[in-house]
Amino acid sequence: MKNTRIRSIVVYLIATFFFVGITYFVYSFINNSQTWALQPINRHLSGDKISGGKILDRNSVILAQTINGKRVYNDDENVRKALLHTVGDGSVLIPTSIQSRFSTELFGYNFVTGFGAPKVANLSKDIKLTLDSSLCATALKSMGDKKGTVIVCNYLTGEVICMISTPTYDVNNRPNLSNESDDKYEGVYINRALSSSFTPGSVFKIITCAAALDYVDDIDKKQFLCKGEEVLDGEHITCLEHHGKLGLEKAMAKSCNIAFADIAIDVGKEKMLKKAEEMGFNKQYTIDGINIAKSQYNVDYASNADLGWSGIGQYNNTVNPMHMMMILEAIANDGEYVKPYIVKSIGEDSLFPSEKHTELKTKRMLSSQTAKKISDIMRYTIKSRYGDSMFPNMQMCAKTGTAEVGEEKLPHGWMVGFSQDKNFPFAFVVITENSGYGIKTAGPIAADVMKKVYKDYK
Amino acid sequence: MSSIIELIIYSIHIVLPFMAFLIVYYNITSMWKNFRGNGPLVVLVNKITKEKIAVNYWENSIGRSKSCDIVLDGPTVSRDHAVMFRRDKGWFISDTNSKTGVLVNNKKINGCEQIYIDDIINIGGVPLLFKRADVIKNDDYVRLNKRKKSMPTVTLMMAVTIFQLLASLELCFVEGVFNYKPLIVFGLLSLIFWSYFIISKYIFKIVNFELETLGVFLSGIGIITLCGADIDSTYNQIIALALGMALFSFIIFFIKNPDRVVKFRIFIAVGAIGMLVLNLVLGTVKNGSQNWIMLGNISIQPSEFVKVAFILVGTSTLERLQTTKNLTEFIIFSVCCMGALFLMGDFGTACIFFVTFIIISFMRSGSIRTVILICSGAFIGGMMILKFKPYIMNRFSVWRHSWEHVNDMGYQQTRVMTYSASGGLLGIGLGKGSLKHIFASTSDLVFGMLCEEWGLILAIISVLCISLIALYGRHSSLKSRSTFYSIASCSAAGMLLFQMSLNVFGCTDILPLTGVTLPFISLGGSSMISVWGMLAFIKASDERTYAMRR
Repeated sequence: MKNTRIRSIVVYLIATFFFVGITYFVYSFINNSQTWALQPINRHLSGDKISGGKILDRNSVILAQTINGKRVYNDDENVRKALLHTVGDGSVLIPTSIQSRFSTELFGYNFVTGFGAPKVANLSKDIKLTLDSSLCATALKSMGDKKGTVIVCNYLTGEVICMISTPTYDVNNRPNLSNESDDKYEGVYINRALSSSFTPGSVFKIITCAAALDYVDDIDKKQFLCKGEEVLDGEHITCLEHHGKLGLEKAMAKSCNIAFADIAIDVGKEKMLKKAEEMGFNKQYTIDGINIAKSQYNVDYASNADLGWSGIGQYNNTVNPMHMMMILEAIANDGEYVKPYIVKSIGEDSLFPSEKHTELKTKRMLSSQTAKKISDIMRYTIKSRYGDSMFPNMQMCAKTGTAEVGEEKLPHGWMVGFSQDKNFPFAFVVITENSGYGIKTAGPIAADVMKKVYKDYK
Repeated sequence: MSSIIELIIYSIHIVLPFMAFLIVYYNITSMWKNFRGNGPLVVLVNKITKEKIAVNYWENSIGRSKSCDIVLDGPTVSRDHAVMFRRDKGWFISDTNSKTGVLVNNKKINGCEQIYIDDIINIGGVPLLFKRADVIKNDDYVRLNKRKKSMPTVTLMMAVTIFQLLASLELCFVEGVFNYKPLIVFGLLSLIFWSYFIISKYIFKIVNFELETLGVFLSGIGIITLCGADIDSTYNQIIALALGMALFSFIIFFIKNPDRVVKFRIFIAVGAIGMLVLNLVLGTVKNGSQNWIMLGNISIQPSEFVKVAFILVGTSTLERLQTTKNLTEFIIFSVCCMGALFLMGDFGTACIFFVTFIIISFMRSGSIRTVILICSGAFIGGMMILKFKPYIMNRFSVWRHSWEHVNDMGYQQTRVMTYSASGGLLGIGLGKGSLKHIFASTSDLVFGMLCEEWGLILAIISVLCISLIALYGRHSSLKSRSTFYSIASCSAAGMLLFQMSLNVFGCTDILPLTGVTLPFISLGGSSMISVWGMLAFIKASDERTYAMRR
């Protein structure tokens, strides 16, 4: 029996194995419970069982609330569709939505009671957004059945007042989306404003222009020669027109490819990359804690012609719409940008301490001189090319883009711009996918939306 | 009105973990307190030196070797000379192949012989007088009759019943309106529990019920969890609990005489292997492993019952251990069992058998070298299997990377983590969980359901309770009536601990997910029955189990 006594210690070995493991589990549970619980796979977050807080727009219009244990969305179908990607649909499919990202605040998760606290002791908070729901609905209407995104932002404060992404659907009348080949709903769960990056086309010329202003000597006097086409090491760079001789300002206004390809080659790979990275390319930004898609600029393996193409926003460049907005902010705001945001306050009317968006830190992206010059060049583009009648009384500066995406698809249309009037400090980004020329597709949408902004905010 | 009910139900819900803590605490302390002190059972007096040798155990090895319980230093004493042991009829001495034999009252014995008080036993030239224990005044011995006070059994059992009543009541209000079905489940649970108590106490005259109380407490948690997920399978599980408790009583009765069981072992071994072979021939494949036999509507998992047989075959009395020292037969049996499990594709259970095999071999031989040899052999074998059947590697590929495979290989593990965290410390409420919609939630992933619905506190209390039962199995094995019970108890304890570890750590991605059940709590009739079999071994190792009943 004495032997058995000693040998029974083997049980302790297994018990130790168990205790070590269970301690490790409890340790990781304590450390990660929030992360684990707030995963988009969690069905508790779909909000039917748990009483969630309200989501309100900037004018306190209710976008989503819980009534009798059911999540109820805004009455207006257009508003529901326009804000689908921002608010979320209660499923786990739109991970960037407020209902997914702010489920702790909305649904009152805490470590002790989990999601189990009784409804009477509701810990949920309301979330107020910076968005204007009726403006978003207008933007959606203008967008029609095109795919793309519209963002409007106050460039002095960073408040995003309009953000829509299409295709979209009505939460209350969910279409059958199981058929993934259905082109109509391609990428429907993606908020294109935050999670997509698009080929920029000519809007990238803004960055190339900044590089030219900083790195090319005597750029003001320099003249470029456009014959509609040029050949570099056997590869072609083409322009839409035969522009002849022209300077930087005119090249931008007429969106001359040859001129900007020449600038990119003139500036060189290293400095082009440096400028692009200074302006936020290849960098991870977060908006209200949501990681947005990176904008890419990579010319490591580019040939001379590739570098030229990269200067006019083709090659392998991509731009995230919200990042484009930051670039516009910087140009409009003397070279400094304010990070855009969507969540204005959390739990303003609740008993618990509320959080308000207070961060108004500006960061420098460009020198104020360069910013001013680009701003003037973009202003010249509107005045000389499209006319102020497109954006009456707004002192608008803008750039259009038509991004070729190959595969026999129509190009992406871009229009980006901002007002020089600091009493009307708004900037916009409009993208329409595979639709044609930027000015013809994105242009009218931008004009529509900005007219509404002018009416409501000037 | 409805919010008042909600508040009442929630207060009940919060009380449950604290009740659970008290139940486990008082049962475990009561089990630990009621041990006999360190006094001797009988005494041997060396006639030449007048030295009094205390005989502390129910089975004692006698010999020259330092590892013997009674070390004799005589010229012709063999290393392991004899075994002196107590059975129902009295004390016996058995010659374990000694060179010079054992003489009782100057007569050489042949094999095994009963001895009486004042007999003179001559071992290798050392004459020993067999005396009652009272020739030694021992403070510890006095303690035998003065047991420390602990909670009365019935109070603890009542506490478990109240706990189950409150939990069932909570379950009645899941949908907001009253649902009577959980109360039926509660009624059946209590009926089984208290009939067991009455039958055992008044017919079989059993006095201690702590272990069974904890068993019913844990099974109750499992059954009530199940009731909130799928009420139909709950009834089967309750029947399994009743059968399990019946098996529990039967095993305790069956192994009352270990010498008899040792003789039956060959039949048990053949029966067990027969069952596994039958399983291989007739078995149906469910979820990737072929470990089920369908009998009409009932599916049986033979490997669960073989666990009980495995321990019965593996364990041994001290007398047997001293006379037959090799492990060959047991090794052959183990290889057959594990081989069959590998063929079925049930790697989790094969691992459990392997660990139990190591425990038994070590307990029997005490040779660390053998254990290392076995482990390295198994390691090489495992590597070979991985080399020739690389798809098994797939199971490991997701291990510790489940968040990268949220919707494929890591589906279950990530759900367990997410929903466990959703419950927080106190749980989301019985029957309100979402994990129950995930495949195998009530069996392989049941730990996640405990965390989600009952809260982390209660989930941890439950698994700690199982580990404390196992540690008690080891503790009580120190004073068992026979090595037979000691080895069985330690193996059962190790098996419970290891199986629980595989289950809990598998579903939380600390170990690869193997799909074994959580003892007592998981859904699975065969598993429930066999766990009660394990519990019987732990119970049998407690020397009070077979005490003379007044």
